[in-house]
Amino acid sequence: MQIELRQVVPLFIEEEKITGSGLWKNDLEFTPAERVQIVAPSGSGKTSLIHFLYGMRKDFSGTIAYDGENINSLGAEKLATYRQKHLSIVFQDLRLFTGQTVLENLEIKRALHPYHTANPIETMARRLGIHNKLGKISKTCSYGEQQRIAIIRSLLQPFDFLLLDEPFSHLDDNNRKKAMELMEEEAHIRKAAIILADLKPTSFYQPTRTINL
Amino acid sequence: MPGLTFKHIAPFLSTGQNKASRILSYGGLGIGVLLLLCSIQMYVNINRLLKNKNPKKDGYDYISLTKTITNENMARDHSFSQQDIDELKKQPGIEDVSPLLANQFLVRATGGSNLPFSTDFFLEAIDEKFIDTVPPSFTWKEGQPVIPVIVSSDYLELYNTVFAPSRELPQFSENSIMAIVIQLECYGTLGKQNFGGQIVALSDRINSVLVPRNFLEWANNRFGGPNKVQPNRIYIKTRDANQPELLSFLQQKNYRVNKDKTKFGRVKQVLQAIVSGLAGFGLLVILLALVLFSFYLQLMIARSKENLQLLLTIGYSPHWLSITVAKRWIPVYIGVVIAALASTALLQWGFQRMVMNDSELVSPWVHWMVFLVAAVLLLVSVTVNFRLVKKLLYRL
Repeated sequence: MQIELRQVVPLFIEEEKITGSGLWKNDLEFTPAERVQIVAPSGSGKTSLIHFLYGMRKDFSGTIAYDGENINSLGAEKLATYRQKHLSIVFQDLRLFTGQTVLENLEIKRALHPYHTANPIETMARRLGIHNKLGKISKTCSYGEQQRIAIIRSLLQPFDFLLLDEPFSHLDDNNRKKAMELMEEEAHIRKAAIILADLKPTSFYQPTRTINL
Repeated sequence: MPGLTFKHIAPFLSTGQNKASRILSYGGLGIGVLLLLCSIQMYVNINRLLKNKNPKKDGYDYISLTKTITNENMARDHSFSQQDIDELKKQPGIEDVSPLLANQFLVRATGGSNLPFSTDFFLEAIDEKFIDTVPPSFTWKEGQPVIPVIVSSDYLELYNTVFAPSRELPQFSENSIMAIVIQLECYGTLGKQNFGGQIVALSDRINSVLVPRNFLEWANNRFGGPNKVQPNRIYIKTRDANQPELLSFLQQKNYRVNKDKTKFGRVKQVLQAIVSGLAGFGLLVILLALVLFSFYLQLMIARSKENLQLLLTIGYSPHWLSITVAKRWIPVYIGVVIAALASTALLQWGFQRMVMNDSELVSPWVHWMVFLVAAVLLLVSVTVNFRLVKKLLYRL
């Protein structure tokens, strides 16, 4: 799968933020196995870009296409299929089911379209140090723990692109490293690309391309 | 999404909320369905019970008209002229008109040695399409010695209950009377001839002794002479014998209407109207129950809105979610409709056993129409439910 951007500009963004941007009003493609780093200060549209790429928002001009197909003309069902098989995401605001347990949050994603033959939840949770939180209601976990739940959730499905929106903001270096390693491994076995958006270049991440928004 | 069921998403929906409203809507649905199914079954029962007594054929009333005889007009001619008949034909409520042709000669009926009676008699003829029971044998050709006769079933009843006991004559069933051949002696100024007369059918509609029209025309000519006599009685065919325009026209013309035969039709109409009203009420209750249930669904979806939105965001298909959420209530709907169907069956059985005393006129079993309506209702409920859930989910 390939994602193409043609002259994409958010409808709400100021003119001065477009000029000099490495992405807005540019033509570019994201291809499999790439490691893309998108760096930008707050308010320059990082989260919007990730949402645009995931097909969640349509308030932009220009076109974004999955394999040549304009995502704004994709039906809800087709978009759901892309999200099951080709696109995975870690939201900046995490978007967990706060009233459910950690395990329920992970199982609901894994049940949708499992990638691994054996259930990897226990192993991944152990690697990120939240295995003893699996039975807890997720809203009772700390923000850093919730970030790790969201990261594991994003790795339980097949994908060609892993979209990450400030995924480590509440993690210490040690946990960042562990999380990054896990994501790299999972992306590698799927031959998938990672598109990581953050305020500054992320440690433990070796991008093949860096774009300043 | 193979392997995924409602069980997976159940913890993410607040289905347990507002239990009272949910149970109330199930109850309402059950009562509504029961009312509707019972009404249909009663409708079928009424049709069966009054089938033999309803003179309506193909939805028409056939009623006889005569000119009213009063003290003042007794001496006048009370026959219908061709002009009267043409005027009747033009009336909007009247579909067809047929005069009753009467005999213009004398007739004497005798029963022979087995049935010792002898009486003056009369014969009439009418268009066959006005007769409710016309067997193929109701034909006559010149030279045929036996005349087929259709008699009003009221006459047989009168014969059996009044005439036969008073003269110690045998009583006859509807079938056995048809085996008897009586003697019809026809005579007039121009001659005399004996015929056999065989009853080939009984009529619930026409109050007369009917013979084939061509026989009566031939006999009138043969025994009575060429002078034609105007008919004194006329039958009209109408969609509704009780329509005000028709009644006021007949009243204005001073025509007497014999509506005896339409009475059962009226009783049936009234009963059917009551049952239809009941069915309408049942439908209304079903509608209210479905509306109540839709409120419950809307409330559930509103309460689970964030979770449902998130399920869609992480890749759950809205179509799958709609089907899965809607499917959740199919067993409940099936249960409710089956319970209503079982109650209808029980009530019908009770009605046949207790009220109708095991009468053969009413079946103890539920009519297939009731099953069909139950299936349609189930389908409608499930479809309405699914469409509502889908609409609500796509709106998220």
